[in-house]
Formats: sequence, structure tokens, C-alpha cells
Amino acid sequence: MATKIPENLKYTKEHEWALVEGKNLTVGITDFAQSSLGDIVYVELPEIGFELKKDDPFGVVESIKSVSDLYSPVSGKVVAINSDLQDAPEKINETAYESWLIKIEMSSEEEVAALLDSNNYKSLCE
Amino acid sequence: MKTSLYEKHVGLNAKIVDFAGWEMPISYTSLKEEILEVRNGCGFFDVSHMGEFFIEGSQACEFMDYLIPADFQVANGKAVYSPLLNHDGKILDDLIAYKLSDQLVMICVNASNIEKDWKWISKIYDDSNFDCKIYNRSSEYSLIAIQGPKSEEFLKNQLGVVEDLDYYGIKKLENSHGNFIVARTGYTGEDGFEVFGGHSEIGLLWDRLITAGVRPCGLGARDTLRVEVCYPLYGHELSENLTPYDCNLKWTVKSKVDYVGKKSLDESTPKYKLVKISLDRGIPREGYKVLSSGQEVGIVTSGTMSPVISKGIALARVERQKTEGVKSYQVEIRGKTYEANYHTKPFINGGHK
Repeated sequence: MATKIPENLKYTKEHEWALVEGKNLTVGITDFAQSSLGDIVYVELPEIGFELKKDDPFGVVESIKSVSDLYSPVSGKVVAINSDLQDAPEKINETAYESWLIKIEMSSEEEVAALLDSNNYKSLCE
Repeated sequence: MKTSLYEKHVGLNAKIVDFAGWEMPISYTSLKEEILEVRNGCGFFDVSHMGEFFIEGSQACEFMDYLIPADFQVANGKAVYSPLLNHDGKILDDLIAYKLSDQLVMICVNASNIEKDWKWISKIYDDSNFDCKIYNRSSEYSLIAIQGPKSEEFLKNQLGVVEDLDYYGIKKLENSHGNFIVARTGYTGEDGFEVFGGHSEIGLLWDRLITAGVRPCGLGARDTLRVEVCYPLYGHELSENLTPYDCNLKWTVKSKVDYVGKKSLDESTPKYKLVKISLDRGIPREGYKVLSSGQEVGIVTSGTMSPVISKGIALARVERQKTEGVKSYQVEIRGKTYEANYHTKPFINGGHK
């Protein structure tokens, strides 16, 4: 089964996706990540206002058998969390690219340049 | 190492992981669906990596009764669960001993402990004087566990008469499908059977179960199923640092004249106990700290999410001295403390006979 990798998004080596809109970055985990994890049963997200540096852990997603840390793709401040996922974590399995986790207001837009594009990410999944 | 059914797992696109040196399927499609299938219908597992030892001879049962602390004075065609102890009364493994006849006993042991157990049992055999022989036939046997409320119905269609077996019953079954040893045992808490046989016969049984629409389930489901019914696992709840009294296995120890480890066990003072806890939010995982009134009292030994009760559930080893009468526990997860529910009974009853 081919993994979905939308071209309009940026990616990280930790199998997260990022949608860049000016200073704001929306973060989720990729289709490849949800498929590798299997049934996701728990999500832990930070508080709004939490300050993150690039590569800082900001939460976890857990399947029945495993715990995976989530890492911030950029530095900035958490401005929104998708609290719907806390009661319905399985949505990440169903629609990985609609089930965003957090939105970050970036402290520097320059870090976006270091994210992977869809082609680079695709080769990471092969 | 690979079991005789390995290629079948690969053909079914199973996720394969290393388990004690064995390449085993952790799940086939969805772990959650596999768990629910065993609770509500029927699923089957390749557990061929487990070990099979045989004791044969006029004193086979006497040797068995000396080897384990559990009572082996049982009828022919019955099985007994027991820890295997060293002379210090500490747990080397846990096993099921099956009395096939007055002169033939089969022991099924954990895959990770086959060599250690065989060495130990051989030593006990050499140091004692029972009229019997012992054999390690682990490499000659494959093993399928078929588990769930519908397992009797499916298995009798594929294998022949099995409905005459009671819980923990065992018999030899020889018919046109081959020669098998069938026991009404398992590790899920549900009704079910374990079928031991030669590699080709078990391979054919696997194919027939697949054709009949029975769902193959991986070791991931098996682990969550056993935690839901609070069965211990060697290397997690049980270890060589613990006696049966440290891990709620006092019920397996019978007062008899002598058995391996008896002297030490009789003189030992239990230090730990296992408790059952659940969380409404969060999942307690192995290694997480367990607290009571702010004090660290123990550690999670197995933890998972139960898809049946939709809670994080765990077995935890706590120090007896610090927890006498205590029913209030907390679990520390990534620096935060979560209040736990205390359970006196297993998280799920299971429907075994």
C-alpha cells in the first residue's frame, strides 16, 4: 500500500508533516508514521503558550504497544492544540493529514528552509 | 531463528519483530482488531517458538512432582501451571506440565528460556535418581494456540473431536489430519486450545484455519490479552530475583515433602507483591514509577492500553513493607503524576471453561 505524501507540505526525519502559512506552522504525523505505529490510542499535547525550540519533544502519540515522542520541527510558541484528538486519537489513523496536532507561531521563519520537501521525504520512506 | 510457519506470516504481510532471537509476527493487520477478535470470536497464534520437553518412564510423574513446587498429583490427561525454581527458591521460568499418561509428561516452557531450563532440568535429573528419561523435543514441534469463545467450534471442524477436553485437559489426537497433542490451555483468559504437532501437520492446520476464515493474531495481541487477565510473563512479572511469594504465585506452591527450592522458599520472607492498576487518562508502561502518598513504592512490570475497557492498564511490582493495606496508587508518566484505579480482580474476566 503506497503511503500518501502531499506535495504542498513540508516534512521532518521524525515523520511529521508541517503546513507553512506565513509565521504559522501546523504540525501532524505522516501517513507513513500512523501506518507504522498501528492503532493510535492516546495523544498527549502541550499547553497553549508553551515555548519550543527546534527538535524539542512536545508530546507523545501512543499505540497499544508503543510510545513515540513528537519533536518540534521549528522554534516558536504553541498557539493552538487539536484537543479533539484526545478523545478520538484514532482519527490520526483515519486521516493523518487532517488530524493536526499543534500550531506553532515561529520565532524565525528561516528554520522552514531546513525542512524536507515531499520528494526528499519520499526517499526517506523507501 | 524462524518457526516453521514464518513464510506464512511473511505471505500475510505481518509486521515481524525479534522476540528472544525469534522472528515473530507482532500483528497482521490491526492489533486492536486482533485483540477484540479473540475476546469475541476466535483467533489463532503461532507460538512454535515455545519449548517442549518430555519426561518418560515409570517415575516420570514423581520426577515432575519433585521438579516443580505445584502439585502434580493429577489425573491422566490433566495439566498443571507452575513456576520452575532454582535451589534458592527463585523463579527460573514458568511452565505448564501436561500429564499425558502415568509414564509420559510434556512440559511447555518459554522460548527465551529453553536452553536455560533444559540445562537446569538436566542437572536436577542428573543429581536425583528417578526411573525416567528426559528429552528436549523443542525443535521437532510446532505449536498453534487457537483462542476465543468460538475456538471449540472452529477447531473441531478442522481437527476432530476436541469438545471432550475440560479446561487444562490434554489428549493425543491421531486421525487423517495427522498426530497431534491438543490441550485446552492458553494465555488469553478465553476458552481455547493449544495444538502441538510436527511442522508439516501444523502447517496444514494453519492453512485450514485461514481457509475457514479464522483470524491470525500476533504476539502483540497475545501480550495485551494476557495483561487484561493479569497473567504474569517471565522477564516482566517473574524473574530470578523473585520467589513465587513475591509475585502472587503462592497459590501454585503446594505443601509437599520435598521439591526443588523448598527449603529456601520455606525460609524466605516475601518482599514484593503485584498490584493491578488502571488509568482513566494515559497509559502506564513498563518501567514507570509507582507511587503511594508521594513515596516511590514500585514499578510497572507490564502496561498497555486495553481496547476492551478503553483504559491504560498495568501490573506493578510494589514493596510490601511500604504498601500494607494501601489501595491508593499513582503512576509517574513523563514527570507528571496520575492517580490510578486499584483493582482487586483482573481487568477482564475472560471466558475460559
